[in-house]
Amino acid sequence: MKKRFHWGYLGSLCASVLLAFAIGAVILAIAGFSPLKAYAAMVDGAFSNARHIGDWLEYAMVLCLTGLACVLGSRVGIFNVGGEGQLLLGAVVGCQVGVWLAGRSAWIVLPAAALAAMATGGLYALIPGWLKVKVKVNEVITTIMLNTIAASLCQYLAKGPWKNPNKNMVAATAQLDSRYWLSKLIPGSNLSTAILAAVVITFLTWYVMEKTSTGYEMKLTGQNPRFAFFSGIKTDRIVIVCMVISGAMCGLVGMFRVYGAEHLYRSSISNQYYFEGLTVAMIAGYQPVTVIFLSFFFAILKIGAQGMELTAGVPNQIYLIIQTVIIFFMAAESGVFASLRASSQRKKARADIRRKEGRDHA
Amino acid sequence: MLEDILSSVFSPGTFNQMLRSATPVALAALGGAMTEHAGIMNIGMDGMILMGAFFGVLGSYLFGSAAAGVALVLAMGVVVGLFFALFTVKFRSDEFIIGTALNTFALGLTSFLSRSIFGTAGTKGNPALPVVHIPGLDSIPFLGQVLNDNSLFIYLTWALVLVMWLFVYRTPYGFWLRASGEKPETLRTAGIAPERMKWLASILCGILCGLAGAHLSLGQLQGTFAEDMANSRGYIAFACVIFSKANPAVAYGAALMFGFFDAIGLRLQDYVSSDLTSTIPYVITIVMMVYVVVRSQRRKRRAGRRLSPRQG
Amino acid sequence: MDEIAVRFEHVSMAFPGVLANDDVTLDVRRGEVFALVGENGAGKSTLMNVLYGINTPTDGRVFIAGREVTDFSPRTAIGLGVGMVHQHFMLVPSFTVAQNIVLGREPRRGRAFFDNAAAESTTRRLVAEYGLEVDPSEPVEELSVGLQQRVEILKTLYRGAEILILDEPTAVLTPQETEELFAVIRRVVREKNMTVIIITHKLYEVLAISDRVGVMRKGQLVGVRDTSQVDEQTLASMMVGRPVLYDHLEKTGAPGDVLIQVEDLTVRDNRELTAVDGLSLSVRAGEILGIAAVEGNGQSELIEAITGMRRIEAGRVTICGRDATGLDPGAIRALGLAHVPEDRLATGVSRNGTVTDNLLAGRQREKRFNRFGLARRTSTIQRYARELYERFDIRGAGTDSAVGDLSGGNMQKVVIAREFSFDSPVLIIAQPTRGVDVGAIEFIHSQIIARRNAGCAILLCSADLDEVFRLADRIVTLYEGKITGEFTGEFSKDEIGLGMTGGRRDKEAAS
Repeated sequence: MKKRFHWGYLGSLCASVLLAFAIGAVILAIAGFSPLKAYAAMVDGAFSNARHIGDWLEYAMVLCLTGLACVLGSRVGIFNVGGEGQLLLGAVVGCQVGVWLAGRSAWIVLPAAALAAMATGGLYALIPGWLKVKVKVNEVITTIMLNTIAASLCQYLAKGPWKNPNKNMVAATAQLDSRYWLSKLIPGSNLSTAILAAVVITFLTWYVMEKTSTGYEMKLTGQNPRFAFFSGIKTDRIVIVCMVISGAMCGLVGMFRVYGAEHLYRSSISNQYYFEGLTVAMIAGYQPVTVIFLSFFFAILKIGAQGMELTAGVPNQIYLIIQTVIIFFMAAESGVFASLRASSQRKKARADIRRKEGRDHA
Repeated sequence: MLEDILSSVFSPGTFNQMLRSATPVALAALGGAMTEHAGIMNIGMDGMILMGAFFGVLGSYLFGSAAAGVALVLAMGVVVGLFFALFTVKFRSDEFIIGTALNTFALGLTSFLSRSIFGTAGTKGNPALPVVHIPGLDSIPFLGQVLNDNSLFIYLTWALVLVMWLFVYRTPYGFWLRASGEKPETLRTAGIAPERMKWLASILCGILCGLAGAHLSLGQLQGTFAEDMANSRGYIAFACVIFSKANPAVAYGAALMFGFFDAIGLRLQDYVSSDLTSTIPYVITIVMMVYVVVRSQRRKRRAGRRLSPRQG
Repeated sequence: MDEIAVRFEHVSMAFPGVLANDDVTLDVRRGEVFALVGENGAGKSTLMNVLYGINTPTDGRVFIAGREVTDFSPRTAIGLGVGMVHQHFMLVPSFTVAQNIVLGREPRRGRAFFDNAAAESTTRRLVAEYGLEVDPSEPVEELSVGLQQRVEILKTLYRGAEILILDEPTAVLTPQETEELFAVIRRVVREKNMTVIIITHKLYEVLAISDRVGVMRKGQLVGVRDTSQVDEQTLASMMVGRPVLYDHLEKTGAPGDVLIQVEDLTVRDNRELTAVDGLSLSVRAGEILGIAAVEGNGQSELIEAITGMRRIEAGRVTICGRDATGLDPGAIRALGLAHVPEDRLATGVSRNGTVTDNLLAGRQREKRFNRFGLARRTSTIQRYARELYERFDIRGAGTDSAVGDLSGGNMQKVVIAREFSFDSPVLIIAQPTRGVDVGAIEFIHSQIIARRNAGCAILLCSADLDEVFRLADRIVTLYEGKITGEFTGEFSKDEIGLGMTGGRRDKEAAS
């Protein structure tokens, strides 16, 4: 039973991906590019050299952590659409902590920065979480608004109080001392030791959700909060805590981006990365293991698309198009499949009656 | 200093700016009111606006006239509305997933096409929507400056608010629309398919959000398209819809309130960083959402006190 | 009089997995009141939905006033003069009475505009013609259930119905409202020669109102009789398919200490109206206290308040001698309370969860199911779930399937199995057998009595009065959030009925 479901999912995912590439090809052709050349450039962009492999893994880490942050919320029935803001704030605060503590040992600065980033992201997620649970305000709108607010706030900090002393750097904070930089695992790429921490976090998230009683309580809360409350679970607390952890994870991703790749805060720290993670989570049906695997796949696409932009001049947004078209196809497939199944069951029921009547008359 | 700020804030320019900022939100909110009445949670309006903005400019660029841009937007609105209804009504997909995916799709598609067609710099100065001058209105002090010489769609929006209000509350179709969201079975047992009203609502929403986008790019910015120019206006429109309980007239009022704070933010830029002032409307939107809930709870409690036979 | 209003010929209706109607052939005559009886799930509503065009029959033919129905849709049925009052009212709460009545066939002003004045005057005319008093301009959400039903009937009359289907019309009515409804039915049949088909499972009502009665069982029509030729006993045996002889439920032991104590409790409902009004009661160990009340008189809110699902406005709840006021359900459960909720789907189960997950809920933190508090012992959990599954005779596709795929009765068994397995000294049970088939009812009843005999204090609330009579040691009647009577020993239906309507005193005050 369980196995068949997984195969069905895999089948529909593969079909959707192929169809999405076909649609992407049509759009490329309409925009005047050769789809074949573009896709070839994409493959080339993803695998041509070691640096790209490093970038790929780093982006897979970002997608995986943000995707899991989204899953963490949706598991208990709250949709954290505000990860982008939590990520940005975590990045800017985490970075500034490193600037403030300049001169101290990396063993103090890095944990302090990570904690600060997590606290910032978590607190920022606490606002919509608390409003949702205690006041019953729809979290989708509040988190979206908080994204925009956070982006402006970070922009203000990077231009104003925390701005880079170098006059040529506009809208960027001061650079971190190089001894706080996380060491690169593949030189020249974005891949740093942050990925090791990410692996641990990924494992822990999966483990808590799938293997512990806490995970079971989260699942019940998400499936039917009234029933969960009825059976004795403190649902309000579990929802808020999950939302805060989700925000903390996003904040940490921001800190990883700063200390692992950019070494200062500027808006390119995240270009709607959380939404790409969220999309991955949706395609994965909010299943943690699937999120992990799909992160690697979509990270290839993303890095490939960036390479494609450089070599073939095709805007990399084709990646967003393909990603969302996959969602549409999967939604359509389940919709069409459900109606097909219903009609086949109707037909079967009718045939059963006919057969029965035939027997009765005979 | 304070005097300067106040006189700048309460100048006709502020109120004119309020009108300008409110209009795209109001148009989208009118569309959102349709889907809301039909019982569809529509958070895909942001993407619909963005596509309207892009295809408006594209039509204007390709055919050299703003009218062609608007025509293209209308067609696009119908297509997007049909597309949205296909998933939310026909396939019964998760509205949240489809709405979010639609927004991301719109962002990807418009940015991709814009870069492919116009290059990374984007496009500017395409034929824009006309500015309407009403002779005689100038003679009224203050109001004349606020209301006159605005882009066409600002006036169109007033007409649409009236039309949509009449449609929802004064025509049989409006009753069907509301029944289809509030209690679809009533409509089915009356021999009308509620899905038909949901499809209609979705198409109307696509068109109205498209017009909102067209106003942004062809009206407000005079034929300019910039990436992600909807800038969360679709979500603000959604908040207006919730706030107004999908009443088109009240939704327009809510949009005006948003516009007012946006205008104030723009005025205060001379004194405070624009990065801070630009957050004002978004903060107000959150406050608005909280207020909606608190208001409905308080109302219920008051009604409860009134109707209860005796106090416990 | 012998003209045929409706004819079903070999009608079958199949839903995925269920044959809801199985080869039904039936004539209903013009100008008669025809009662259709049967247990939950016997196929009564499905058959009527076929007549009203909501279901297209899988097989067979339907004739209305001599014309064969080819295109099954409510629109066609309405056109042929069929009107249906559904069990769950089909009214838009925010619309006024008049707007609801004309929905779908609105009077118009000009071509496009809704003519509210015409809608209200038409409604007023109908009100006068049929004597169904109701204010046309009042929003439906502010009407009582009885008045809402009137609006439903008026709606069918507005649409020109000559054949009126009433689906369980008395389930939510007080005895007086039921009497008024029956008077209306008699009047429309006598004066307008209408045909009324009434679906019910209350047999005394069948005898009171109908001319003929059809009995359905498991999708089949097992018999049609003249009402004058039958009594309740005969009908009951026809419904169940065997003589109805409930097993005698052996009650043993004497009441012990007070385990549930409610003092001066005041609770508000979702609309912030006072639902429970300064109520006090107590239940002893080894005793079942039954609550008899018409729906909406505060019994749901009372139970939710006791179990921690609803905020308490004033008063005190004590469970097993410890104060439970204002605690959350988890803390109250820890005091020794288990709860079978009235709305199984909304509160009692997680529909998408597996049977195992649903059986475990509330025990997930127990030591035996956890390894060092870190990992769940999956195999122990599965073994535990399978054991309960067997013991409570749950029938479905196993413990790994979703609870939502079970039938209503088996879903209820999952709830009962979980809640009874706690061995709690206090049990709060609401609607234990709603939508449950007969075999399961007897099983559930025997389980409840077994808990009672084991020394549980049980508070039982059920819309099925017979169930309350059968199980309870003591009954209190509830009306508008207050206790209006208490009964022990031999229960008298009349006195309890009176208590449920607020008693004589209140009635006089109202008139």
